[in-house]
Amino acid sequence: MAAAATSTNNNVRPHHTLWGDAFVRLRRNKLAVAGGIFIILLTLAAIFAPLITPYTFDKQILTDVLQGPSAKHWLGTDQLGRDAFSRLIYGARTSLAVGVFTQIIVLAIGLPVGAFAGYAGGRIDNYLMRFVDVMYAFPDILLIILLRSIFGGSIYMIFLAIGLVSWVGISRLVRGQILSLKERDYVNAARSMGGSGEYITRRHLLPNSLGPVIVAVTFNIPRAIFAEAALSYIGIGVKPPTPSWGTMISDGNAVIFASPHLVIVPAVAIALLMLAFTFLGDGLRDALDPRSRR
Amino acid sequence: MNVNNSHYLLDVRNLSTEFHTQDGTVKAVEDVSYNVARGETVALVGESGCGKTVSALSIVRLIAEPPGKIVSGEVLFDGTDLLKLNRDRMRQVRGAKIAMIFQEPLTSLNPVLTIGRQITEALEYHMGMQANEAVEEAIHLLKMVGIPHAEQRVNEYPHRFSGGMRQRAMIAMAISCKPKLIIADEPTTVVDVTIQAQLLELIKGITRELGTSLILITHNLGIVARYASRVFVMYAGKIVEYGPAHEVYHHPSHPYTIGLLSSVPRLDEPRKTRLAPIEGQPPDLIAPPAGCGFCERCSQVIPPCKTLRPALTRVGPDHYAACLKVQEGYTR
Repeated sequence: MAAAATSTNNNVRPHHTLWGDAFVRLRRNKLAVAGGIFIILLTLAAIFAPLITPYTFDKQILTDVLQGPSAKHWLGTDQLGRDAFSRLIYGARTSLAVGVFTQIIVLAIGLPVGAFAGYAGGRIDNYLMRFVDVMYAFPDILLIILLRSIFGGSIYMIFLAIGLVSWVGISRLVRGQILSLKERDYVNAARSMGGSGEYITRRHLLPNSLGPVIVAVTFNIPRAIFAEAALSYIGIGVKPPTPSWGTMISDGNAVIFASPHLVIVPAVAIALLMLAFTFLGDGLRDALDPRSRR
Repeated sequence: MNVNNSHYLLDVRNLSTEFHTQDGTVKAVEDVSYNVARGETVALVGESGCGKTVSALSIVRLIAEPPGKIVSGEVLFDGTDLLKLNRDRMRQVRGAKIAMIFQEPLTSLNPVLTIGRQITEALEYHMGMQANEAVEEAIHLLKMVGIPHAEQRVNEYPHRFSGGMRQRAMIAMAISCKPKLIIADEPTTVVDVTIQAQLLELIKGITRELGTSLILITHNLGIVARYASRVFVMYAGKIVEYGPAHEVYHHPSHPYTIGLLSSVPRLDEPRKTRLAPIEGQPPDLIAPPAGCGFCERCSQVIPPCKTLRPALTRVGPDHYAACLKVQEGYTR
């Protein structure tokens, strides 16, 4: 009794910030934690790839062509005698970079467009959202192929192409969030204290719509990774010899009956990474939902 | 600059605000005039939907346009017509010269910003304070409104504050830039009775200390009698009676005011007495009645009430009512 009284009086309870609370809830979700750990480990492996891999990604050992897994080549070699394990780890670089950089582009376009449309409302909102609808209706893969043919083949252009077709979802999400948030009392209160539209959007509306945006981004990353893999598979992705999980599957396809592991391993890697992001996204969605607070 | 032709701090003249809806135009506030002297507390009274809040929000132009629109009138504040200011000038008035306290303390604070941050932003914007100065001032303000451990509380998020505490924080925010006028829109409706009294005493004390004028929007006549020097009774978008609070309280002239007063439970009456509610509903403001807005519910209605609009007529010292029965020639 006395102890409880002192604790409230002196306020010794730790601060619970919005994000702190969410993190506590996220940690309770085992799948999300597993997904997060997998992503972190893969990221570390991708960053420190030269230290981990026994060979470089383009080192051809022509005496060891199409080998099965062994102590020398953990995951075997491909038809050019390149170490599959080394290429897998370097390929993670491509995949994660695609995932992260496309989302930076998506946020850089989608957030301001959605926020502006949502706050301005009226005709501006209408025009922006009809443009978004057109972008949405256009087949993604066609647009990417078009952009690739315009911008050329560097890996940055893959980021740009995938980013330019995926920002519409985020902009719609942000607009919807802002439309509902701008009716809140605290927005009115901020206006009554002299806040400008730009200030209210930046300070009150965007931070409050961040939860769903983070979740959407987490789900978007595997989609971008998958898009890159698909592009590489059909030969308009990263240029050889830069490894990507998509190109590895594509290359392995030719020898799928002789060396099925060349297809299976990168395919499993893509599947695992996508699952990891999906689990993390699910966990984040639950954690950032204030109603799930227990 | 406009010539200061009014000795009132705020002089609202013939204000009309409409809302355009798909069913037609709602005349939420029609030809309303009221004024507030420096340091004075004025009450706007009336039932839900009578236009109290809209008339107050019109002053600071926080009516959403569309669907709302201030169609006519003047809002003279310190001699300047607020309705003629551009948006940037208006923003400098809001918060710095006229501040508001809202009805819903639970939702009027942004959940992702600390209480302190929400107060310091206005201080930095309007008063040009540096960050550390503003934090000091925020702590000082929180202490002023009676929040214990203000030094720690300033860094906490709204969800750790109770309803009453949040309303105190809102009051702190409202007074932060030393405004000349505070508009309190039913500031105590959502907190319980004991807190209500505390909060009102707090608002009253602070406005007296700072010499701030106060518009108290309420439907609680008990509050009016205690805190306001003058009262404006609104019904169906119009002012039906106004005057010094004790005058209106002891000699109500408009049947609506009489009805309001007799529908409040009183301790000094025998316990068996039944309350007398006002029967019926307020009129449809899309198609308001041609005559007196209250005629459908009035117990003293006479035939001309249906067709003639009563004008505000003097019924006592500084006391006016808009009812045919007090107007010359219509006594029954």
